[in-house]
Amino acid sequence: MSKIFIADDDLDILEILKMMLQTRGYQVEATTNATDILNCKGDRPDLILLDLWMSGTDGRDIFTRLRQQENTKKIPVIFISANSRLKDIAAEYAVDDFIEKPFDMNFMLNKVKGILECS
Amino acid sequence: MNATEKRYEDLITQNEDLQSRLDEAESVIEAIRNGEVDALIVKKDNEPQLYTLKSADQTYRIFIEKMHDGAVTLNKEGVIVYCNSSFADMLHMPISELLGLPFINIIPVAHKQEVSTLFEKAWHSDSRAEINFPGRSRPLPVLLSLSRLEIEGGHSLSIVITDLSFQKEAQQQKKTLEQKDEFISIASHELKTPVTSIKGYLQLLRFNFKEDGDEKASEMLSKADAQVNKLSALINELLDVKKIESGQLQYNEEQFDLGILVKEMVMELLSFTYTHALCYSAEGTCMVYGDRNKISQVISNLIENATKYSPAKSDIRVEVASSGNKACCKVQDFGMGIPNDQQARIFERFYRVGGLLENTYSGLGLGLYISAEIIKKHHGKLTVQSEYGKGSTFQFELPLI
Repeated sequence: MSKIFIADDDLDILEILKMMLQTRGYQVEATTNATDILNCKGDRPDLILLDLWMSGTDGRDIFTRLRQQENTKKIPVIFISANSRLKDIAAEYAVDDFIEKPFDMNFMLNKVKGILECS
Repeated sequence: MNATEKRYEDLITQNEDLQSRLDEAESVIEAIRNGEVDALIVKKDNEPQLYTLKSADQTYRIFIEKMHDGAVTLNKEGVIVYCNSSFADMLHMPISELLGLPFINIIPVAHKQEVSTLFEKAWHSDSRAEINFPGRSRPLPVLLSLSRLEIEGGHSLSIVITDLSFQKEAQQQKKTLEQKDEFISIASHELKTPVTSIKGYLQLLRFNFKEDGDEKASEMLSKADAQVNKLSALINELLDVKKIESGQLQYNEEQFDLGILVKEMVMELLSFTYTHALCYSAEGTCMVYGDRNKISQVISNLIENATKYSPAKSDIRVEVASSGNKACCKVQDFGMGIPNDQQARIFERFYRVGGLLENTYSGLGLGLYISAEIIKKHHGKLTVQSEYGKGSTFQFELPLI
């Protein structure tokens, strides 16, 4: 089953996303520290859900670094945020997809499924 | 004289001829170098042709003279041997006073050390630095770009001085705008984060109850979820108003067919609208230029209003047509209508139609205000025609392209 990595600084949202994704049988790894994603070594995730605005870290910087690193540059990334400019930011960074907070469970799961099927 | 001697003498003569030509060429080059020559006459295809030295590099001279950046050449002692008028303008000094002046003398004390180091570096590789020139009313921020020039074996430095004041001003404006934007970002984040958690947990609970076959609990949670959606929509409305007020509602414009967009919106809304019959009609193509998302926000606001203010099970007509140079979208309901005296005010912020039913309908009274603002930004107009008790028709026009 596909492996999904989630980074969000809100523990509740991290738990929610993890439980929702687990209802579809995905293997989920969740972290509040986005830099963890950059250090993923052997166990490369199939998809990354990245919060744009985490305390101390800007999701955009993490995304830029993910795209620069050889071992992470091809992993699809979905930005997830309450930022009202999310759509523009997603377009500017040419990210694979974006999900606005608050999100609908089925909407989120369908997006994840769609991206995983494409890649 | 035998043949060998004759040949020898010829060679001597030829050699002398070549030597004198070489001497002549060398003295011409020397004269050109010393600036003693204004023009050359060269025989080409037996026709004498005049070459003026001025014309040979005139293009480059004019280019450097007329460019907005300052251009300076320094000799190896750091003395200004050439400068253009843009440079003189930056310093408010005549060119004649600048020539012969050590460049370092015109650098403000605060930057002298930095510029000296920059010069040292420039003899080895191209170097750049941002400094401030003493301006008339305030310092002038400039970028110095230094390169080493090798001319006729000698060394000199060329400096291009770029005025950065426009750039700095634009950066400052952007910063101010970003600070304003920050409040909205923080408010958006702080308001939406708890809503995201509530909605998430409600949906997970609902999923679990549904799995366990508890339909009643699942239905109650579904209702709670619908209320959270309303709350979320209200937060978005408030944030939109805040953005409109501070001129920060951003528009991402593109070309699109209004008819297709309206059709898509109607299709999407049909799946949520159980109480009303939505009828859609369109004529031809209506290409407009604007922010597709914002226009769809207007369309859904008008259709939602029509549903909200008309009795259940009645029709709502949505129509797109072009007339003249305008595309026009109409949303018609056969509901309660708006009294004449209130029609002008419904586009105001926080205004809600009063009367017997005033407390029956939820909302902050921001939807039409936001819609009207969006249409106005698209050089269009949002209007209403209504008869109390019979229904209303909201209509917006956008320029066709």
